[in-house]
Amino acid sequence: MSGTQLPANLSTEMVREISERRDEPEWLLEARLEALEALDDLALPDVIKTPGRRWTNLEALDFGSLVDPLNQADETERTSDEGVEVLTFAEAIEAHPDLVESSFGSTIDPTENYLTALSAALFTTGTVVYVPEGVDAEDVTVRAEMNSRSLFSHTLVIAEQSSSVTILESIESGQAVDAESRYFSNLVEIDAGENAYVQYGSLQTLAEDTYSYSLKRADIGTYGTVNWIEGNLGSRLTRSDVESELNGDSAETKIVGAFFGHEDQHFDVNARVWHHGENTTADLVTRGVLDDHARSVYEGVQDVGTDAWNTSSYQRENTLMLSDESEADASPKLIIHNHDTEASHSATVGQVDREDLFYMISRSIDPMRARNMLVEGFFVPVLDEIAVDEFREDLRELIAARLR
Amino acid sequence: MSSNEELQNTNTEERFDFKKEEKSAFQTEKGLTEETVRVISEDKGEPEWMLNRRLRALQQFQEMPMPTDWPGQPDLSEVDVAEIVPYIRPDVDVRAGVDDWTELPDEIKDTFDKLGIPEAEKNALSGVGAQYESEVVYQNMQERWEEKGVIFCNMDEAVQEHEEIVKEHFMTKCVPPSDNKFAALHGAVWSGGSFVYVPEDVTVEMPVQAYFRMNSEGMGQFEHTLIVAEDGAEVHYIEGCSAPKYSAFNLHSGGVEVFVGEDAHVQYSTVQNWSKNTYNLNTKRALCEAGGRMEWISGSMGSKATMLYPSTVLKGPRASDNHITIAFAGEGQNIDTGAKVYHNAPETKSTIESKSISKDGGRTNYRGLVHIADGAENSSTSVECDALMFDNESTSDTMPYMEINESKVDVAHEATVGKIGDEDVFYLQSRGLDDDDAKQMIVSGFIEPITEELPIEYAVELNRLVELEMEGSLG
Repeated sequence: MSGTQLPANLSTEMVREISERRDEPEWLLEARLEALEALDDLALPDVIKTPGRRWTNLEALDFGSLVDPLNQADETERTSDEGVEVLTFAEAIEAHPDLVESSFGSTIDPTENYLTALSAALFTTGTVVYVPEGVDAEDVTVRAEMNSRSLFSHTLVIAEQSSSVTILESIESGQAVDAESRYFSNLVEIDAGENAYVQYGSLQTLAEDTYSYSLKRADIGTYGTVNWIEGNLGSRLTRSDVESELNGDSAETKIVGAFFGHEDQHFDVNARVWHHGENTTADLVTRGVLDDHARSVYEGVQDVGTDAWNTSSYQRENTLMLSDESEADASPKLIIHNHDTEASHSATVGQVDREDLFYMISRSIDPMRARNMLVEGFFVPVLDEIAVDEFREDLRELIAARLR
Repeated sequence: MSSNEELQNTNTEERFDFKKEEKSAFQTEKGLTEETVRVISEDKGEPEWMLNRRLRALQQFQEMPMPTDWPGQPDLSEVDVAEIVPYIRPDVDVRAGVDDWTELPDEIKDTFDKLGIPEAEKNALSGVGAQYESEVVYQNMQERWEEKGVIFCNMDEAVQEHEEIVKEHFMTKCVPPSDNKFAALHGAVWSGGSFVYVPEDVTVEMPVQAYFRMNSEGMGQFEHTLIVAEDGAEVHYIEGCSAPKYSAFNLHSGGVEVFVGEDAHVQYSTVQNWSKNTYNLNTKRALCEAGGRMEWISGSMGSKATMLYPSTVLKGPRASDNHITIAFAGEGQNIDTGAKVYHNAPETKSTIESKSISKDGGRTNYRGLVHIADGAENSSTSVECDALMFDNESTSDTMPYMEINESKVDVAHEATVGKIGDEDVFYLQSRGLDDDDAKQMIVSGFIEPITEELPIEYAVELNRLVELEMEGSLG
């Protein structure tokens, strides 16, 4: 497969150097080398193909010029709440060696695809959030700034039994870099124990010369809940996969997504849920707006396993097109193996309602302002799902800013 | 004279040699060979251009890989193309499939009995014998149509007698053999099927039914249906019938091409009930001009595996499409079906309604594509998929794909999956129905939007068929 060979500028020495600089334990070096070695045989993440069309062309990415492994730089601010440990990856290896070793790669196999392997082999930044049993925490924030041509990040969240935590992550571009384009990669693994609650919000506003890949996956135990909020506004090309595995009985998840593309941005946004336990519930809500030449690709998967009795699973996706030049592709999928299921999905694509617009103009609101108000209103059902005020306001502000 | 004879002999010899050479050239290719295709064409006395199209299709078939990378697609590994060859000739000779009623499997004879189809008709349905009564009806209809200039005949006959129309439309603009591997196969070995031509502004009041013709002509495994409805014409074509079609041959790969002229209206209805050893891999497509309307109504009940996605290309402004599909998968069945619509002009409209039922380990999948091209302003599409599951061994998938390149559109997709409602069953039971009857009634209600689109005799048979499936009394 073209484009998936090992970039010429990567080598085992380089990976060893990354690991040595960070003074990492042997197991992590081994994991990195294994991922590097696997690159040759791995394919890029699946992309939807229909007759004559490939929805996202990841093959076009030239990792040889995008990736600069030894010069990764970031500035990350982390805040914590009482009882929660919010550590850099390096600190966590010191403080909780066994925990990190057993959690790393437990939800996302580093050799799952070419991009995960690349990330595992080369990551230099990342955060470990450890929420011990019974701890009830709010307001963990991880604000990251990318200051290099390429940056690979790995985040682990371990929420023990009956704990709860809200994590807000944001990624933006820092200082300008002397490169035509940049690459950002972020893997997030959440292990939510019995009766644990994790809300994970993520806001990506990278500069529009950046190609970004993120895969976020949660392993959710009995009575556990993981709610995702995924806001994508930045990057030239965004490939974002947010996934929940409802492994325990009565586990729940909600995946809320919002994107707003303009100019020639391309969003490949995916929300997937696997129902394995009994009495599990999933709710997938995504809303996106496209302006100028922007393009969106959405895949939503609700997969109900044979043993997932009494499943409830819902999915909604709505795309609003502001420009005639934009393009929206969507594929919401239901894969149902258990008949004791209530599942539905819906998807719509359309433009700003003409009657609504007419009404507002007739109330002497300027047409552009009226349209912008309607676009802001379009995001309300998604904003309403966000429990954290700060995050909701940030997203609202970013949407409003893009409309200006 | 003797020298002439000698020349002829030499020619034959030369031709023979040439063929041998050709054969060896293809020897490495397993399965279908050029020789076979030439024999089919020669048997039918086809014009050169048709032979050339067949050969081109054959080449494309050999070059194309088997489709294997569709997510969750039916397993086609059993479809052995090499196995097709020995059957090609019999298919040409005895298009009916079986020679004798008694050769039909018990399962199918049973169904005929249960459907209450008389012996004579049974023979007809299985393509064994000609049935007098329907022959007369067919004859009568034919006379009435002819007065209006309507042509309805066997596809093979059409190649000879309506060469120009066929040459223009046959596997060119609508379903080129390059469309997919099985369309290419179809293009190489097609045989039989129907040709319908409706002149400008003519309305054919009665549905045109392949059913009547099939009695005498029989139905091939690779039948081709070509419908040309000129501007303002109107026709309803019904393919096949709801009785099981049995064949020892386990691959059915038909081709359907429909040309809908400006403001014309074509309705195409099928109830497919192939025996449960059949792989049903069809390509059906309609090209719809300005203001034209295409309706696909299909029921998929039979076959081991079906991959069928009737498609419509809305070429002209205001053209519209309506899909109604129902799939019922019982034990061991994998019914992968759906719809494809391309909106290539402004103010086009499509509605897709899909119902599927899976039971006893069967799998149904709705796989559909709606594409709205840039410039197809003010187009709208609505897709609705509902699935009913009977038990935990069954699977129900829904995989719609939407590609929207135009902003002034209205696109909506909705799907639900559920089990048969306990409350509904309870309600009916409280009204004195037993469990089975209650469930049957719910299913009948579930598929009603489909049955009400069919002529009454088909609707009755379809309902009866569903009842039989529900009883589990069909294989």
